[in-house]
Amino acid sequence: MPITILAPRPSRPINPPSDPRAAMPDSDSDSDSDSDSGGGGGGVGLDPTGDIPMFAAAARRSKHALLDTTTASHSDIVTPGEVITDDPQWMRGHGTFVSAATAAIVSSVAGTVARTNKLLSVRPLRARYTPEVGDLVVGRIVEVQAKRWRVDVGGTQLAALPLSAINLPGGILRKRTETDELQIRTFFAEGDLLIAEVQQLFGDGGAVLHTRSLKYGKLRNGVFVAVSGMGGGGGVVRSRRQVWTMDAANGAGQMDVVLGVNGYVWISKHVETPEGLVAENKGAGITNMEESVSTMMYSSQNDRIGVETMREIARLRGVVTALVENGLRVDEDMVVRGYHEAVEMAMMSAEGADDIYLGGERGRQLAAALTGV
Amino acid sequence: MPLDTSAYNLALLRVDGRRWNELRRVHAQIRTQAAADGSSYLEMGHTKVMCVVTGPSEPGPRRGGAGAGGGGGSGGKDAEVAVSIVIAGFSSVDRKRHGKGDKRTLELQSTVSNALSASLHTHLFPHSQINISLHVLSQDGSLLAALINAATLACVDAGIPMTDYVAACTAGSTSTYAANDEAADPLLDLNHQEEQELPGLTVATLGNSDRVAVLVCESRVQVGRLEGMLAVGVDGCKQMREILDRVVREKGQRMIQEGTVERGVGLNDMDVD
Repeated sequence: MPITILAPRPSRPINPPSDPRAAMPDSDSDSDSDSDSGGGGGGVGLDPTGDIPMFAAAARRSKHALLDTTTASHSDIVTPGEVITDDPQWMRGHGTFVSAATAAIVSSVAGTVARTNKLLSVRPLRARYTPEVGDLVVGRIVEVQAKRWRVDVGGTQLAALPLSAINLPGGILRKRTETDELQIRTFFAEGDLLIAEVQQLFGDGGAVLHTRSLKYGKLRNGVFVAVSGMGGGGGVVRSRRQVWTMDAANGAGQMDVVLGVNGYVWISKHVETPEGLVAENKGAGITNMEESVSTMMYSSQNDRIGVETMREIARLRGVVTALVENGLRVDEDMVVRGYHEAVEMAMMSAEGADDIYLGGERGRQLAAALTGV
Repeated sequence: MPLDTSAYNLALLRVDGRRWNELRRVHAQIRTQAAADGSSYLEMGHTKVMCVVTGPSEPGPRRGGAGAGGGGGSGGKDAEVAVSIVIAGFSSVDRKRHGKGDKRTLELQSTVSNALSASLHTHLFPHSQINISLHVLSQDGSLLAALINAATLACVDAGIPMTDYVAACTAGSTSTYAANDEAADPLLDLNHQEEQELPGLTVATLGNSDRVAVLVCESRVQVGRLEGMLAVGVDGCKQMREILDRVVREKGQRMIQEGTVERGVGLNDMDVD
């Protein structure tokens, strides 16, 4: 077996731009142009020896900050405690606070500044999901109470799903009864996954969900992936379409994909949805149809899933995690393109379609193929 | 005596070759664990600490019992900052077992918890808990300072709003209490050897201000020397804040370049009507 001897790497220097990463050459050129515009020497940021005491580096940093405020560079990161502005015309938004002493608007998180008219807010680089009314979320039941469920949606608090906010079997328009309360676990029990919409927000940030649509309800026949959501820092982004059905390759039928805004993703085998049934028997009364679908609505039993469908679901899951690992956003366009790319990659490989591994180098390859076009 | 004070007087260099006002090498990273809400890794010299932040989240039944710091129910109006510290057995020269109920560890936990809850905007997260779990991998002095710095970085990474960084540092004095030397120089950032021999204190300040968030002094020192030590310590905290801030900015710039985060808007080029 051949042995590879790696050349010794220089010890990690302290000054910033020498991080040996692919993305860093850009940063070098950036910092160069910055210091050029400031009239300083061109190569300030490029010292390969790294033998600079920390104080010098710190001093350079503060000089940089000064430059940034004068040139107002667009890529500015603000960090906690940094004064954004002391101009009283601005209003403070999320991610900021007003300092008591100077009445200046100060950032409270690390992120980028966003402006809506006169409102200044800071979008954090990463944070937990904060619910907003109308968000489509995937959640997991963690607690069953007398008249409601508590659902983990990846936020700072558990969301509530009241018994009155679900489709009860036997028609949408049925009133909630005491029998339903006693049978609450037959609808959702601990650990069940569901797709729901945020209906209402409390003042303290708590959310109330509802599943009063045939599109929502219990999830089965698939796999759950948690990535980062709308809190910031890539992951799932709010988009026009969060739920879609796509054709799986290699004759594996169709797959449903649900991208919850909260970063929880559900990939499952496509089964004939209630809407499909609605479309088919339009003539029939809606209540009859309701009754027929409601029996299977809260079933926790998976349907039979073919091996090739499982394989394609796993491949799609790999695509989603590879997108997140490589810092790309997760939306319909990226996922569909990524999936086709992954299928192509599998075709090229020795194992053929069975090769679903998309971690590490293959994930980077996939990301490069997606960003290259 | 390992710390030869006469040698210090000759060359004004400490046992590890630093001058009185020099920090040790600080290396820090954020987002070291992809699955966590926030994470960091911090080295101050040979003191190495890892931190993982979970939350703010509701302490539900699924999380299996209350955390280490979580005594009562968390139904309060503010988020509770629960800190748990694990000191690895291999972290110091003498292999020691630190149990869960170790008094020293408990004190470190409550100090870190109090320091951070002073800066974190806990009122934004009612009924929730912020779990900070710290792992000490290697100890070489200034442990409390390293713990506070690592926890601050991890909280920044988790996107938890805070007033400012809580940056911590230690300061000491060049001669022992017994020597009663009024002319002793203050020292910045003690290592283990110095911490054993000399009087020292840990100080943490809120960002660039002179507001002290933590001040811990566990050794005897003449009150006349205290002021100098404190001044040097506060100055060290400011240096430390710059270093932590740079780590966060670098990570942010990289994320912008990779397109993970949208670019921000500058204030100057905004068209104000």
